[in-house]
Amino acid sequence: MPKLKKPTILWLQSITCNGNTHSFFSHPDFVALMQKFEIIHHPILNTKYTLENVANENLTCDVLVLEGAFRQTGMKKANKEIYDIAQKYAKKAKHIITAGSCATFGGIFRQYDTKSIGGFCFDGELPNETYKLFKKKLISIPGCPAHPRWIGSVLSMILTHRQIPLDELHRPLEIYAYNAHVGCSRSEYYEWKIDVSRYGHKEGCLFYDHGCQAPFTHANCNKILWNEISSKTRVGTPCFGCTEPTFPKKNLWHTTTLMGIPASMPIGIPKRAYLTIAGIAKSFTIKRLNEPIIKYKK
Amino acid sequence: MSQGGKRVQKKESIIQAALTLFSVYGFHKTTIPNIAKRIGMSSGNLYNYFPSKEILAQEIIKYTSEVLGEEIRKINQQKKLTTYKKIHKIVEVYFKMAIEKPEMIEYFLRVYLSHREVFVGECQRMVCVAGFITEIMIFFSDGVECGELRDQDFFSAFGLFMGYLGGMAFLNGEAILSRPLKEYTDDITQNIYNALKT
Amino acid sequence: MKIKHFVEKVEGETELEFDFKNGIVNNVNIIFPFYRGIEEILKSRDALDALVITPRVCGICNHAHLIASTRAIENGLIDAGVNIHLTPKAISLREFTLCCEIIQSHFKWFYLVAMPQLANLNKLTISDNHILKASWVSINTVKALAIFAGQWPHSGYVVPGGVSCDPTYEEIIQAEALIDDIIRFTQQEFLGISIDEYYKTKEISNINGDMIEILNMLNNQNMQEKGKSYNRFLALGKHLVFKDGQYDQNIYGTAKIEYIKEHIQTGSKAKSVAYENKCYEVGPLARAILEKNDFIMDMHSKYQDSALTRVCARMDEIVKLLIYTKKLLANLNVKELSCTLPKFPKDLEANGTGIVEAARGSLIHQSIIKGGKIQNYNIITPTQWNLSNGIEKTSGIATKAMKGSINTEEATFIFRTFDVCSVCTTH
Repeated sequence: MPKLKKPTILWLQSITCNGNTHSFFSHPDFVALMQKFEIIHHPILNTKYTLENVANENLTCDVLVLEGAFRQTGMKKANKEIYDIAQKYAKKAKHIITAGSCATFGGIFRQYDTKSIGGFCFDGELPNETYKLFKKKLISIPGCPAHPRWIGSVLSMILTHRQIPLDELHRPLEIYAYNAHVGCSRSEYYEWKIDVSRYGHKEGCLFYDHGCQAPFTHANCNKILWNEISSKTRVGTPCFGCTEPTFPKKNLWHTTTLMGIPASMPIGIPKRAYLTIAGIAKSFTIKRLNEPIIKYKK
Repeated sequence: MSQGGKRVQKKESIIQAALTLFSVYGFHKTTIPNIAKRIGMSSGNLYNYFPSKEILAQEIIKYTSEVLGEEIRKINQQKKLTTYKKIHKIVEVYFKMAIEKPEMIEYFLRVYLSHREVFVGECQRMVCVAGFITEIMIFFSDGVECGELRDQDFFSAFGLFMGYLGGMAFLNGEAILSRPLKEYTDDITQNIYNALKT
Repeated sequence: MKIKHFVEKVEGETELEFDFKNGIVNNVNIIFPFYRGIEEILKSRDALDALVITPRVCGICNHAHLIASTRAIENGLIDAGVNIHLTPKAISLREFTLCCEIIQSHFKWFYLVAMPQLANLNKLTISDNHILKASWVSINTVKALAIFAGQWPHSGYVVPGGVSCDPTYEEIIQAEALIDDIIRFTQQEFLGISIDEYYKTKEISNINGDMIEILNMLNNQNMQEKGKSYNRFLALGKHLVFKDGQYDQNIYGTAKIEYIKEHIQTGSKAKSVAYENKCYEVGPLARAILEKNDFIMDMHSKYQDSALTRVCARMDEIVKLLIYTKKLLANLNVKELSCTLPKFPKDLEANGTGIVEAARGSLIHQSIIKGGKIQNYNIITPTQWNLSNGIEKTSGIATKAMKGSINTEEATFIFRTFDVCSVCTTH
């Protein structure tokens, strides 16, 4: 039987911190997964072609992975505008993956100059000119960084020709239909509206006062966990909403409130419904939820 | 009328009678036989509807809160109204209630606020007034969101708004006001708006 | 003769502009052509936003940035008269997670940079095994980190006054098991000898495993004689495990922050930084010299600040930090408070400096906060120390080290022994 040719993959970086590269490198099956591809170029792996080859030649590319925010001019690598290199391979690729919030929406680095820096196909939540060219093969994997499994699973789904239903921002629904609150170990405190008194306690919710954006952030972090073991909210850090086109908002450690009422509601929950339930839940003092859950002897 | 419909109607008439008696005689001096007698019902039958005087008192506050909440909800849903207009309408609704159904306001002041010991268990804190509080919260947060109201703690805004209206209703009930309550609507709206605006 | 050489896989890219004279490198100009504007992005934001934004300077040493930005705020709070007292638990957890980040970064350097680059230099071919090893060891190291920090990269668990997590002994045991696995890996695969033996002899000739291949390839390239710089070292971050100080040609001194000054470099978007108007090397070698680590001091006396000594200091730091992380976990008392600052003061007015020893050396964050908002923020990264083009007419640390090299490949490898991080340099 003839050996099937492996699909080619090209991982290209623009204005980035390399966070997605290092995040994906922490995928337990990183090596096995990458071995299913012929790697044209990768930021940290020793590859057959150099970035200069990528910039100056016309190499094959089935799957293009983009990392980092883009500007059409003023960001050169190997004497070529990185945007033009990305365009060249985007045209050839069967699939374009924007890995991380910078490549998808512009992310943190867009904040430096929102007029000229954005994602490859979206500037914030708005589709740009590039979007029109590539929307048919675009898969968005926002996150700061993207979770290793998000990238790994999408690559595997491409390899195995699985259907990948997407939302309007081209995020795979199997990952982003959840919100980051789902599976949070503090959810009981959320239900009974008990805020964490100060940082550094396993008890208490971070939604009311401490800026947690998990209930309105599309991501499955607390379902699949980070590094196979934990998550921001599990260790008492608020979710900063890093998978959303609005990332990074301002005042990240404080809940934005309107007359003391959270300004952002959990996805799809009308304010009236939320306030009715919240008001009732808040009216009860549940002893167990107001004391430490573990008591150590002195 | 269906059996269920009749039961609801009966329940409402008990609430109405109790509301009147509670607000006139107070919580302790009003008894279940008094209430039953007023609507020509046996005490035993009344207990079929409300197992105790405490539960009846709680049901009344829920009922009052829902009636008022429903009115404010209608105002909240008129998205095109300015916050000033909304305040005006809420003041109108409240004063109308104070004039037409003074017993509701009286009940709130004389029973709900004065006998907190009655409103425990399933009626802790805000549970029984949730219908009303929720709408006031929505009114406030919409007002801040559209930039017309200054962002502040909910209770500092709520206390100013409701304390003021309650106080006016009380003065009216004591027949101290020099003019009919309704005539104060514009000034009071202006005062509340000035105090809460950005 | 001028030769432009594009260098990739240095956490981004950079350009080296070589000036050859008589067949050897006479001078090098290191060019970082892009600036990402993190300091500008921070302006007028809430003071605490820095804890979220600054880790995004770098995908590989983000945790060090998180701690540096927290320390800058804490230093500012003290400046503003707020009492900041960290519990031993909070200090130990910060040290632990920082060490984990350094360990993964060092291992990545050995397996993803040193091995393939040295193989290229020696014209040898190697299997993909080194990627598998790098991946395994970094997965497990950052997993131990994430038990407390929630995730890696880009955690946010360090907060003014302590840390946000509240671990249980059950979780600490998970971390201990992971560190044990990494120690086993280090002994069986990386060093090829037990850590006990390693500490007994402290001789590179006794080392085996993957390190022996690296050492042989370094030896083949005569790296004990190459890559020497000024023999000046600096460590500025205060930690239980590192010693801060300054070293200039065999003379030790205390490091004073007021002697640090940044300079704009023409042609590059990265600023250079100097101490008392002189270039200093930072990183594992600097730390080893400042703590008078016998093994590295011994190598240093034989081979000075050569590429070989620099690489061995990085290796030795892995071993040292693994032992240290075990100790930190063993002594962790979960009953202590994680965070002692009950409420962050509103409308803070403060100036603060936060310094941390990151994988590549001393990292400095400086912030000016007015009315609770960031008025100015300045970041000096370790690579700015090592990779500047020098002060006035004198060369920088890495450029000096590359001088005298016989070709661009060799010079570029010497450049890489500083564990180059392009993204940190171009924040």
